Amino acid sequence: MVAVELIVRDLAFGLMLGCVFSVVAHGLNIIWGVVKVVNIAHGEFIMLGAYGAYFLNLFAGITPLESAPVNAVIGLLVGYAFYYAFLHRELRNKQTITLQSEMVTLAATFGLSLFISNLAIILFTGNPVGVNYNPGTLQFGYLHVPLAALYVAIVSILIIAGTWLFLEKTFIGSTIRAYSQDVTATELVGANPATVASLATALGFAVTMAGGALLTVWVPVGINPLMGALYAPISFVIVVLGGPGKMWGSLVGGLTLGVLIDLVQAFATAQIAYAAAFLILIPVLVFRPGGILK
Amino acid sequence: MQAKPRRLAKRTTAIIVIAIVAIVIVSGGGTYYYINYVAPRPISCTLPSGRDAIKVGFTISLTGTYNVEGSKSLAGIEAAACWINSNGGVTVNGKTYNIVLDYHDDASSSSNISPLYTSIITQDHAQFLLAPYSSGLTGTAAPLAEQNNLVMLSHGGSSDSIWTKGYKNVFGVLSPASTYFNNAINWLKANHLGDKLAFLHSDDSFSTTASVAASRYAVQQGLTVVYNYSYPSMGTQDLSTQLTAAQVAGADDLLGGGHYADGLKIVQQLSSVGWTPKFISLLVAVTEPQFQQQLGGAANLVTGPSQWETTVTYSPASAQTAGIPWYGPTESQFVDYYSKQANAGSPTYHSGEAGAAILVLVNAIHNANSLDTTAVRQAISGMHIMTFFGQFQVDATGKQSAHSMVLVQWQNGELAVVAPAIVTSGTVKYPYTGS
Amino acid sequence: MNIQKPGLTLYGLFIVMAFLAAAALLFGVAVSSILVFLLIYAALAYSINFITGMIGYVDFGHVLFMAIGSYALATLVSYYGANPLLGVGAGAVLGLVFALGIGLVILRFRGVYFAIATVVLVLAAYNIVLQFPQLGTGGEIIFNLTLQPLTPYFTIWTIVLIEIALTYYVNRSRIGFGIRAIKSEEDAASSVGVSPQRLKLIGYMLGGLFGGAAGGVYSWSTSGVTAGPAFDFTFSLLMLAMIIIGGVGTSIGPLLGAVVVYIPSYFLLTSVAQAQPLIIGLLVIIMALFLPDGIVGLLRRSNERLRLVLE
Repeated sequence: MVAVELIVRDLAFGLMLGCVFSVVAHGLNIIWGVVKVVNIAHGEFIMLGAYGAYFLNLFAGITPLESAPVNAVIGLLVGYAFYYAFLHRELRNKQTITLQSEMVTLAATFGLSLFISNLAIILFTGNPVGVNYNPGTLQFGYLHVPLAALYVAIVSILIIAGTWLFLEKTFIGSTIRAYSQDVTATELVGANPATVASLATALGFAVTMAGGALLTVWVPVGINPLMGALYAPISFVIVVLGGPGKMWGSLVGGLTLGVLIDLVQAFATAQIAYAAAFLILIPVLVFRPGGILK
Repeated sequence: MQAKPRRLAKRTTAIIVIAIVAIVIVSGGGTYYYINYVAPRPISCTLPSGRDAIKVGFTISLTGTYNVEGSKSLAGIEAAACWINSNGGVTVNGKTYNIVLDYHDDASSSSNISPLYTSIITQDHAQFLLAPYSSGLTGTAAPLAEQNNLVMLSHGGSSDSIWTKGYKNVFGVLSPASTYFNNAINWLKANHLGDKLAFLHSDDSFSTTASVAASRYAVQQGLTVVYNYSYPSMGTQDLSTQLTAAQVAGADDLLGGGHYADGLKIVQQLSSVGWTPKFISLLVAVTEPQFQQQLGGAANLVTGPSQWETTVTYSPASAQTAGIPWYGPTESQFVDYYSKQANAGSPTYHSGEAGAAILVLVNAIHNANSLDTTAVRQAISGMHIMTFFGQFQVDATGKQSAHSMVLVQWQNGELAVVAPAIVTSGTVKYPYTGS
Repeated sequence: MNIQKPGLTLYGLFIVMAFLAAAALLFGVAVSSILVFLLIYAALAYSINFITGMIGYVDFGHVLFMAIGSYALATLVSYYGANPLLGVGAGAVLGLVFALGIGLVILRFRGVYFAIATVVLVLAAYNIVLQFPQLGTGGEIIFNLTLQPLTPYFTIWTIVLIEIALTYYVNRSRIGFGIRAIKSEEDAASSVGVSPQRLKLIGYMLGGLFGGAAGGVYSWSTSGVTAGPAFDFTFSLLMLAMIIIGGVGTSIGPLLGAVVVYIPSYFLLTSVAQAQPLIIGLLVIIMALFLPDGIVGLLRRSNERLRLVLE
């Protein structure tokens, strides 16, 4: 019985952690899937989202859940600016992104990640901070579920579902999907490719920064300028697992990772669990380069 | 990325110019901000005139990973040096000297250690050295002290392995990592010998050394260890698996931890997995005031080891009781000098150990009545004194052997010192009750 | 331009290297202890240049090979009392072997997928190292070599010299043409009869070899290795920044980049330490977006004569 109890608990926490991982990676997924660009500075925008939640809590006294939409609005603006500053030059008038443009965007966003994280060290200092948010615990028998983590998991799924609905059911959404498949098709629909691409980038940033706010619930004092260095790789793994551009792929990838980490830990050491969580990327890329989703 | 040779377009040139201007503005602004708001302002301690200088050289991490610990250490060193200079300076052969500090920021990077120490030694001609903060950096600096035959006091390197390399000139002021949990285990042995212990610690070098040594010591003392695992220092979002496993293994008490964030996470998740250990002792996190602010009731009765706290009351009187000489400022004098510095906050144990290093050095110079490395080295080897930081005595390898860690416990919002008996302000309360 | 005859660039680089050797001999330990790290960074920059510069793939995980070299030397020296030169050699060989194994798998991935794979490998390796108590408690090994500052200095000096010559040779040889063909378009490369897969693997293995050697000298010069800093992405990022700023794929670029990035970072430590990585970040952004050939490219464009000479 004891072993079952352990596994149930691990599964519950793994699933909730997986949800927040998913939403953190989801913004990267949107940009990668639509614009075909990997933002190396993704982790830094998660970090900015987390600091957004921290400062909103400090000065406005609102919880991370409430600061997520505020972050999302900021993220829209940041993403829009990001597209025109970093991607527009490389993407305009191109049907598909060339290897060389890919490398240019990688290098440029890498520079951006250095810049933002070091600016953050100066502005926020290296001291880790946190948001105190604890609405209590729910108990099912031996299973204790912290409400904060549960709320965050629900909101994460809602965000992913929302973007899926947006892309599937709205006109703008279908234009974005058209762009992701064929840039010329966008023009046939009568939309400017740059506008569509910038919109998708902005959407991706909005989700990323909202995700940063939600993440603060899991890291009570882990908000620091260098946190992006962990969450960016985690996001990369999740997006590759789920398949770039598949909205539910983020959730599948995130849950796989969360459960993998917690379950492997139950049988091996935690270090092996983390190593496995990162290394799973390699076989997936070798055998299912499109992600584990069909 | 092979570029075709072409002249730069006007627009590109303009963008580059704008970017360069932006760089200048940002870096200028960043520097201004850093210098005015972030960097601790050392005491403007007027050096008594008419004295020669004894130059003490070291690097300290004011930026990079260890910037917080480094800044606290530097402020402690400044406070202690300032106290010495305003209280008679250092007298050698009837001649009085000021302690003058010669330090550089090492940016927490081991690649800066040897160039900086080399320049401190060969160009600035420092006569004595302090080690940098952290074991890794101390390990890098120690061979330089040996090569150049200068005494080096380690105040931030707690790893035991530093003392196994045969260094003649390197001496530790602080208790080594392997002794961190001794107070807690001694107390458990005396009061709850039947308790089963769980160790859960971060996998970095310091936390591993402390926890592994502690579990070995616990077994020697007749306690039972039922769980002993580490978690990756990078992955501290979720420790529920390990906590649950420890509970299932039948553990009564929880020892371990690692960094501030981990300690907080552990206590927070204890309640979410529904385990209330009877006794909790965690590295690093517990001594921070924010620990209690962040956790509220859950922090109550959590204990932790500390090198030193401002509430620890070593005094000239306790030195007399112990039958050893006292040197340096009292605890309140030290705090007073410390707080004269802008942006330094309140002293932590990093400040205490770093300040104590300067005091030990000066006391040894007094005892040796010489500035010669060999004489001072011999004086340090044979010295047994007490400072505000506690006792100082090293063994044959240079490792600290007399200084005692203290055990602290949050009791109703106050951080009480509960062991060892000589400095206690309260007794251990047991069991932990959760939030 | 004559392919066979070495150009001014190579002579210039040799003169710079001769200066570096002379500086260490003449000015003693105060200068050489700074320059040794400049050379280590230059060695790392050249080693990543074999990968990113020549294959055209961005590699964020090169610190992995540096860490392998560091642990190889630290283990041999600390536990077996071996000569550190042997440690450097072991680091190089291990770097090569790991590069072969890893390269066989991840070089199949194109572009961003390769870049991401290099990132996760570092994180996985970091966690795996901590599983081995043999690699020190918590991955920390401290050792005490009675250091002769000039030995590591001339070891790394020799490594950089070999790297320069090799980079120059590869750039000008048939392999170089093949590699440039990969960079412009992989399919084009295979159609003209160069096996891109084999060339990429050669580049990656050279990167691993020299990365491991440089990592060995790094831990030699710092008397130890600690897991956190050894796998610190900062090193990867610095190396990458160096070649992007200096000039990706060129023979001068890595050394130039190492000078531009390391020398200010050392001398500005006490004044504007915080602002320095910020400036590197901005420089990388500008170079990537506007000057894809870095400083070397900028110089080439600015002057017709320089264009012919700089490589």
